Amino acid sequence: MNLARGGKRNRWRKIGWLTLVIIVLLALIIVAAPVLLIQPFKPQTQRGLAISYALRSWSPYLTLAALIAALLLVGWLWRGSRWFARIVLVVMLLPLVAVTWFARQNHFEWMFRPLQHSAYAKTAEASFVGDADMVLAVKINGESAAYPVRLMAYHHVVQDTVGGRALVATY
Amino acid sequence: MWATEVNGQVLHFHLAGINNQNFIMRDEETGSWWQQVTGEAIQGPLKGQHLSPVDYDELTFSLWKRENPEGRVLRPDDAIARAGEYATADWDQRLAKVPVATSAKLDKALEARALVVGVNANGASRAYPFNALAKQSPIIDELGRVPIMIVMADDHKSVRGFERTVDGRQLEFFVKPDVSPLRLVDAQTGSEWDFSGQAVSGPSVGKQLNRLAVLNDYWFDWKTYHPDTTLYQLGQK
Repeated sequence: MNLARGGKRNRWRKIGWLTLVIIVLLALIIVAAPVLLIQPFKPQTQRGLAISYALRSWSPYLTLAALIAALLLVGWLWRGSRWFARIVLVVMLLPLVAVTWFARQNHFEWMFRPLQHSAYAKTAEASFVGDADMVLAVKINGESAAYPVRLMAYHHVVQDTVGGRALVATY
Repeated sequence: MWATEVNGQVLHFHLAGINNQNFIMRDEETGSWWQQVTGEAIQGPLKGQHLSPVDYDELTFSLWKRENPEGRVLRPDDAIARAGEYATADWDQRLAKVPVATSAKLDKALEARALVVGVNANGASRAYPFNALAKQSPIIDELGRVPIMIVMADDHKSVRGFERTVDGRQLEFFVKPDVSPLRLVDAQTGSEWDFSGQAVSGPSVGKQLNRLAVLNDYWFDWKTYHPDTTLYQLGQK
């Protein structure tokens, strides 16, 4: 009788381990797919973009749910596990913690850091721009602003208000 | 350059991805994704909406300075400049070697990364290669049945587009030789016009040509987002 109960318990533990593996793999796929689908220098499709958008929108919640579920499972499996099995449990949690964090990051802004506090110089004092450098230029209600292309090629997006109009300069 | 007010709300944009080498912006307020080159929301709650374009120029700093001595210029961020992350002066030549990814069917007439000036008028789109403008400026043309002209300044880098109908009369222009800054002369009245499209002497003095938005772009990028575009070739009228 003890033996039978032990066998049943073992089966549940196996299912527990399998569930843990599946949770970790799913979380990895959810976070990795949009990164792979929207790589530079690869063509994108409408379908790929729709999938990426859905995954990017949901991944902060899904990864958190996966992490909580995995922690509960690990807690349950911890008791009665040998030391090497416990190491495996911890190692399996590491990628899950990593993707839960990554799902809250904008890795495109790691490569091109946004301009936190945009500052401007008077035309006559703008010694950081060369005469032959290109600028994006707007003039609204008598106010003129120029955004040097060399700066725009890095930031890509600069928010401003010119002549009372809120705008975004993009390049 | 886009106005950021949408449905009465000012949106704040972040770089959020890339779609066929044109970047995607995400707005903080709704989380929608916007295509930079078209200003259209392509995913999210605002999908299908368009940002209003803001008229702008792409000019050399020297030309802009001459026209706007009282303007203001975006400063570099000190930390990013110190890290040497801003583009160098020859960045466009280096970028010319970067591979191209596009779903557009390209013309054999022009290389994918050739620089063009893209123009829309009355629903029609046309790309004018920089090389063609360097050989012939102004280019006198008609696009979507609108008489237009594309002009390169004497810095050989700044380009503007104009409609060339004034008071119901179509004008033809040529560049006045050997003067700087650039002056255009119209064949019909003999008036002189400056690069901002204003008549500065002659019978039309004080008149202003209507500006036409132009986009400096790579041929492949323009073609990807304007699939029906035609390509201007020298000698064609």
